[in-house]
Amino acid sequence: MTGSTKPPFNFGRRRFLQDVGLAGAAGLVGMPFGRAFAAEPEKPKEIIVRAWGGSWVDSLKKGVSDPFTKATGIAVRHDLTEDNEIQPKLWAAAAQKRVPPIHVNWDTTTNATKSALRGVTEDLSDLSNLAGVTELAKPVGLDGYPIVNTYGYVYVLAYRPGAFPDGAPKSWKDLLDPKFKGRIALYNDGIGFHFPAQVAGGGKLEDIPDNMQPAWDFIAKIKEQAPLLGEDPDFTAWFQKGEIDAACTISTNAREAKANGVDIAWTVPEEGAKYDTDGLWIPKGLPENELYWAKQYINFAITKEAQQVWLDGLGLPGVVPGVTPPADLVGDPSYPTTEADFGKLIRISSKVQVEHESEWFGKFKEIMQG
Amino acid sequence: MDALEAIAAAVWPRSFSAAVPWLMLLPAVVLVGLLVLGLWDMADGSFRTLDTATFLPSDDYSLANYHRAFTERLFFTVASRSLIGSLIVTAITLFLAFPYSYVMVRTRSAALRKFLLIALFLPFFIGQVVRAYGWLIILGSQGMVNEALGLVGVSPIRLLYNYPAVLFGLVQYMLPFAVLMLAPALTAIPEEMESAAGSLGANWVRTFLHVVLPLAKPGFIGAGLVVLTLSLTDFAIPAILGGGSQDFIANAIYDQFFRTSDQGMGATLALLLVAVGSMMVGVVFALFGAGTLAMGRSK
Repeated sequence: MTGSTKPPFNFGRRRFLQDVGLAGAAGLVGMPFGRAFAAEPEKPKEIIVRAWGGSWVDSLKKGVSDPFTKATGIAVRHDLTEDNEIQPKLWAAAAQKRVPPIHVNWDTTTNATKSALRGVTEDLSDLSNLAGVTELAKPVGLDGYPIVNTYGYVYVLAYRPGAFPDGAPKSWKDLLDPKFKGRIALYNDGIGFHFPAQVAGGGKLEDIPDNMQPAWDFIAKIKEQAPLLGEDPDFTAWFQKGEIDAACTISTNAREAKANGVDIAWTVPEEGAKYDTDGLWIPKGLPENELYWAKQYINFAITKEAQQVWLDGLGLPGVVPGVTPPADLVGDPSYPTTEADFGKLIRISSKVQVEHESEWFGKFKEIMQG
Repeated sequence: MDALEAIAAAVWPRSFSAAVPWLMLLPAVVLVGLLVLGLWDMADGSFRTLDTATFLPSDDYSLANYHRAFTERLFFTVASRSLIGSLIVTAITLFLAFPYSYVMVRTRSAALRKFLLIALFLPFFIGQVVRAYGWLIILGSQGMVNEALGLVGVSPIRLLYNYPAVLFGLVQYMLPFAVLMLAPALTAIPEEMESAAGSLGANWVRTFLHVVLPLAKPGFIGAGLVVLTLSLTDFAIPAILGGGSQDFIANAIYDQFFRTSDQGMGATLALLLVAVGSMMVGVVFALFGAGTLAMGRSK
């Protein structure tokens, strides 16, 4: 890891936390970094932030990383290792008491919760800007802030308008139309689809996780439609190459495909759509000066200025009040802002998801691989 | 020169000469040793279950992961698909590799031999993933094949994201390996043997069946073992050409390690894959010998 030099003074962890607290008291938001971090520890040459590629990392760079570098002089390198693949590396580094390979992990809240339960995340409760965020930023079912949720997102039903001449699909059941056989796509672990499938299958959300048979029954019907199963980049590619007419995917991917000229629209069907969050966290084991600056990176990511630019790029609602939606997403169901918007979405606690993910994943795979 | 000999004698005295064969074995010992260490670690992990309250492996040992591996339908489906697929791929690959190798070895045209060699080695310079993506371009709904079909009035058909597509991709990937393993065995068959069979009245079919094929057996065994084991453990081709619904065992292992964070279950499946692969190779060795892999030694 570059720039992992020891600070010239013997700063202790407690001292750093005091500094962060002082910076917060000084009203860090909007204050130039140079003034805010008068008592700052030695700066590393760079910090490494794991990110997703494509429009995801472009947005992060524009909204958070570049302004952070401009303000602090610390370069930000983006590591595009998949979130699932960086996880065992971080766990192994913590178990072996090594310095982790990244400073900040941009992760799904579900994945991050696993790392928090395993005890490999730093506590971020002392970030000064947490005072100005909404309840969404707080991870559910965990003590303190091992993760800071930074925005929410919806697993929409994205579709090719040409394939739905009568207008947007009203229900997930519309995918069962024989004309869509081999023309629909889901995530290969079923993520985003389990909960609306529970409703579409005639079940109740309250029965999750104890009775998800309705979800499995509906997914078995979907299996008969020979869906393609993939990851985020696959959906964009499949829409572009005309392989599919509809997919359950994160709205950001559909919006990116649309920006790339693909004829695509999206909707939240009547059964609802899964709403979830992503967040930022710091793995344990960093030198203290690097930990300090990694925390400042996250602290900056939850300012209104950073969120506005970052999330404009992603087209997602943030955790800071007052962030305005991009013009193309005003009133869009994938950008919920009102109680009524959230009423159409399905949110299940990360704790339940984490405890049952393996089981749900196995069941989904069993159906799809059969 | 004397100085060099003196240094060599100091570093490795003549009395150590009996240890030279063992020294030459050292790289293999290190390699296998590291492999065994890794397998030992995985074996330890395979007896530990994942605690989803802490996402740590259990302290106590159990056979729970093995019980799951043998009873859950998902693993049976994926394992049987991998086994059957690897056998089909091996058979088709050997069938295609033989004429390629034969022509390459026997042709009198240097230009044709060079062409076949270049065509053989070219894919090695292109990674497996890139080659698989190449098939996406060629066989996709808007790919070259469907465009050509469209010219004669055939509407697009789904050529990708199914089991035949995976087998096709694997055969294309394995063909060079098989040809490389077969060619030395065919080279070792004296041409005079075929001429002698012909002069004794055998037509080319009888010569092929009773002379060439039996003498090429070591090549078939070597090539078959390589193709079988590589196909059985392949990850990229099923992942890319299978559309997510045609997983092989390696894909299931990846899922356990990286998607569900269940390293114990991943280790269990990996060890079972090693065991099944080793058993298949062992059976072939026992029945037919090691073929060209025996490096000229009898079994």
